[in-house]
Amino acid sequence: MSESNTFRITRRHFLGTVAGGIALMAAGPSFAQSKTLQVLSHRVHQTSLGEGDKDLLAAWKQEHDTDVVFTTLDSNPLMDRLFREASLAQTDFSVGYMVDNRPTSDNAKLFESLQEYQDKDPIEAFDDIAAGLVRGMTIDGRLIGIPVRTATQGLFYNEELLAEAGFDAPPTTLEELVAQTIAISEHGKATGMILASDLAVFPVMFARAFGGDFINGDFELLPDPAAMQTALTVMADMFQKGALPRSYATNKGEELLTWMQQGRAAFSVLPFARAAQLNDPAVSNYAGKIKAIGFPISETLKGKVEMSAVVEAWAMTIPANAVDKDLAWQFIKEVSSKKNTLGMALNGNGPARVSTFLEPELTAKNALAEIESQVLANARGAFPPFAEAARAQQIFIEEVQLAVLGRKSPQDAVASMQARIQPLLPA
Amino acid sequence: MRVERILVNAGKTLAVLLLLVWSLFPIVFIITSSFKPGREIFAVPPQWFFAPTFDHYITLWQRWAVFFHGLLNSTIVTIGAAALAVMASTCAGYVYSRYSSRWLGASLLSLIAIRLIPPIVVTLPLFPIVNNLGLADTHFILSVLYATFFVSLGTVLMRTFIDQIPRELDEAASMDGATLPVVLWRIIMPLAAPGIIAVAVFVVVFAWNEFLFAFIFTSTKAKTAPLVISEMIGSIEGVDWGVLFAASTIQLLPVLIFVMLMNRYLVAGLTAGATKG
Amino acid sequence: MKTSRIWQMVPLLAPVQLLLLSVIVIPSVYVIWLSFHTSTFGQSASFVGWGNYVQVLTDPGFHSALWNTVVLVVVAVHLEMLIALGMALLFNSGLWFRRILFVAVLAPYAVSEVVGVAMWRFLFDPDVGPVSNLLAALHLPLLEWSYEPSHAMIMIAILTIWMHLPFTFVIIYAARLALPSDLYEAARIDGATPLQSFYRVTMPLLGPAILVALLFRYIFAFRLFSEVWLLTGGGPARTTEVVAVYLYQEAFTFSAFGPAAATAWIMVIVSMLLASGYIYLLRRQVRNAG
Repeated sequence: MSESNTFRITRRHFLGTVAGGIALMAAGPSFAQSKTLQVLSHRVHQTSLGEGDKDLLAAWKQEHDTDVVFTTLDSNPLMDRLFREASLAQTDFSVGYMVDNRPTSDNAKLFESLQEYQDKDPIEAFDDIAAGLVRGMTIDGRLIGIPVRTATQGLFYNEELLAEAGFDAPPTTLEELVAQTIAISEHGKATGMILASDLAVFPVMFARAFGGDFINGDFELLPDPAAMQTALTVMADMFQKGALPRSYATNKGEELLTWMQQGRAAFSVLPFARAAQLNDPAVSNYAGKIKAIGFPISETLKGKVEMSAVVEAWAMTIPANAVDKDLAWQFIKEVSSKKNTLGMALNGNGPARVSTFLEPELTAKNALAEIESQVLANARGAFPPFAEAARAQQIFIEEVQLAVLGRKSPQDAVASMQARIQPLLPA
Repeated sequence: MRVERILVNAGKTLAVLLLLVWSLFPIVFIITSSFKPGREIFAVPPQWFFAPTFDHYITLWQRWAVFFHGLLNSTIVTIGAAALAVMASTCAGYVYSRYSSRWLGASLLSLIAIRLIPPIVVTLPLFPIVNNLGLADTHFILSVLYATFFVSLGTVLMRTFIDQIPRELDEAASMDGATLPVVLWRIIMPLAAPGIIAVAVFVVVFAWNEFLFAFIFTSTKAKTAPLVISEMIGSIEGVDWGVLFAASTIQLLPVLIFVMLMNRYLVAGLTAGATKG
Repeated sequence: MKTSRIWQMVPLLAPVQLLLLSVIVIPSVYVIWLSFHTSTFGQSASFVGWGNYVQVLTDPGFHSALWNTVVLVVVAVHLEMLIALGMALLFNSGLWFRRILFVAVLAPYAVSEVVGVAMWRFLFDPDVGPVSNLLAALHLPLLEWSYEPSHAMIMIAILTIWMHLPFTFVIIYAARLALPSDLYEAARIDGATPLQSFYRVTMPLLGPAILVALLFRYIFAFRLFSEVWLLTGGGPARTTEVVAVYLYQEAFTFSAFGPAAATAWIMVIVSMLLASGYIYLLRRQVRNAG
């Protein structure tokens, strides 16, 4: 391993290698358009606008001589990134999609107030956009986001896998659901249920089925601790009996879709609007067999209270440090039009416009529209926004995972949630 | 005695085989898998003979154009970082080689100490600074960051290599009236070429593969290939392994071949860098 | 040396010093300031004294991150060293195609963390991974890295060892090659068995190289980020979170710059303690060699 005498490669040889490499790389595709609008979003926002021949924005792009480039990330990293981008001196992202439980008095200042744009160059039939959603994006009197997507969570099931395990109807109570998932796992062909472990949505649904909650609209933490404890006990039991996959703790939101499409799981909790993708013959092995109902409530509460499903809303924002805010508004205005709201809904986007649910074209294609609007009537967010919401969600998820994996008793997990999250809540 | 020898040889062969499987199997596996048609990737047991297809590469080209943009960015950043690190290290290495004083000795040690600060520590304060200077998401900032974390090693390496060049050569040149830059360019750099290559190899491998800085300091314009691959792992609907393997193969192969060709320089650099102050 | 000549040298030293000052030294000092303040997006900083340090040092999340880091460093680095030592002796014992084999074991050095994670994630994927399938076929226990925290740690350790073994191996092998062969000749004449000559000759002489390589790897393993971030994200239930991931979460997920800065300085201090050991050894070696 002596140094000097082993170096036989000359400098010219080395430089030649590098130059060849560059030539090879430079052959990549070029990106030459006259204008580009950078959008930061979740993949689902991009796909609902359609791609290729089905691009809903094709005409708009031509008219404005603009190409729209999406950068897509999964929910949590997306929010980290959006706030980081908005805190810069300048960002390339002119439009950022924001989920409704993240804006706070502090970080809302980083985004453009959209009322002025609306006054100057209004969105078509703005009143049609659900008032509650608009309120959720109005922070300290400033409208910072235009609602574009609602994701109302429903219970999806694979009819064929249910039938094979001897069930001819979906569950009507939570207890039946649990029994079916366990039986299907025991049957051996598929896992009973697939849930993501990185979002609060799923344990919150279980807790609400027992009349509990995580943090309610009045910022009350665990309003019914016993219900949360029962929910965690049920989930831990499902995990232990194999009704949730062993990979539960690393399953991310985006995987649920593939698990269902491939028939690896019989049940999942997903936004109703995903029905189209789940039943698309091009990507799904069970096209036409994946149905949805409202998430069932516990038998003890059935008929007494209505199940309150989780609804998540997304809005389009313009970072105050964006370069081309007017173009961004043009994009937002176009995406929010009645025509495109319907187009996106047909592509599997939960509409933010009330009237879209009633469009015959949608109800004809999507048999779930009616169920969805019923569930939506009682639905509310997984938790309200506040300054430490990200940290609170993280702690909640951590404790839920510990309880579900059986590393902590549900009782201890609930006690620890209370002790760790309470100090984070707004006074 | 003969039996013992056979046993020893068998043991050694087994150890070598294990070592080869350990080092190469994962790499060979993803390269071959990237050419397998859809479902054969998941075949049990893995198929070693199959009709190769470029399907995944075509999908990659169609759906992930941003990956190829990332490769271009990686190339620019890597070349920038290597050039900067080589220039800075050669200049400083020359000084440390040709002169010695207490002050210089102490500053060399401080170079080494500073290099040992974890990179993630500086991301936090650099983030707002870089943004206020308007350098976020530029090739320039990534090149500077990558070069900086290698100039200490580079300086130490260049000093070792320049030490082997007889002083008489540069002294004779300056007698003939050559200025310091000329001495460096005409005498030191050509003779220390092996050292320069060794420094470049390190910086190239590091800059081509780096994740953390690229993750924090780029958004769209300067996004590098590893970052695009990480987005492929994390954000598409389920992991499309075939496309991911195609992208990984493209990202991996150039630097793998480079390392294999340059392994002597790498070894010389590693030993000199880690064991010589 | 004449003073004038030192001044002539300044422009040559400037690029390196400027880079280090502006990218590492000054920002690190700014981190000290940040660590005594509380701030987040859209809010200006206010002084809180040692508050951030107290918050971090009393946070059970930090304790477990620190513990995980220490476990990974201790287990992975030492295992890696043992393998590297074995490999160096194997290579030194005379092998066919040694040059080619050497290049082959160097290969993982070229692999990026991102691609490394993609590879190993797939190999050990519980449903489709070939290694998982092989283990299942042999009725061996599976590596359930997505569920069992200890398995997840093993997975991270495997990945770390795989990625860094070439480095450790090269250092040890180079040191072994540098040992004079007449020592072994002498030991053989004195009737030492191969095992005895390993303990009496090889180990003491390789000692310094092993120590240097170990310290070097401690320092680099302590900043472990990408492997964990991309493989488990710190999960399940934050049980595999390491200090660098903790820092990232505080800074970029919770936007709590104060505690993040305090964590950063704790990392700097630990790294510097390890580094001072490394530099002390280097200086002693240089002195001995000189």
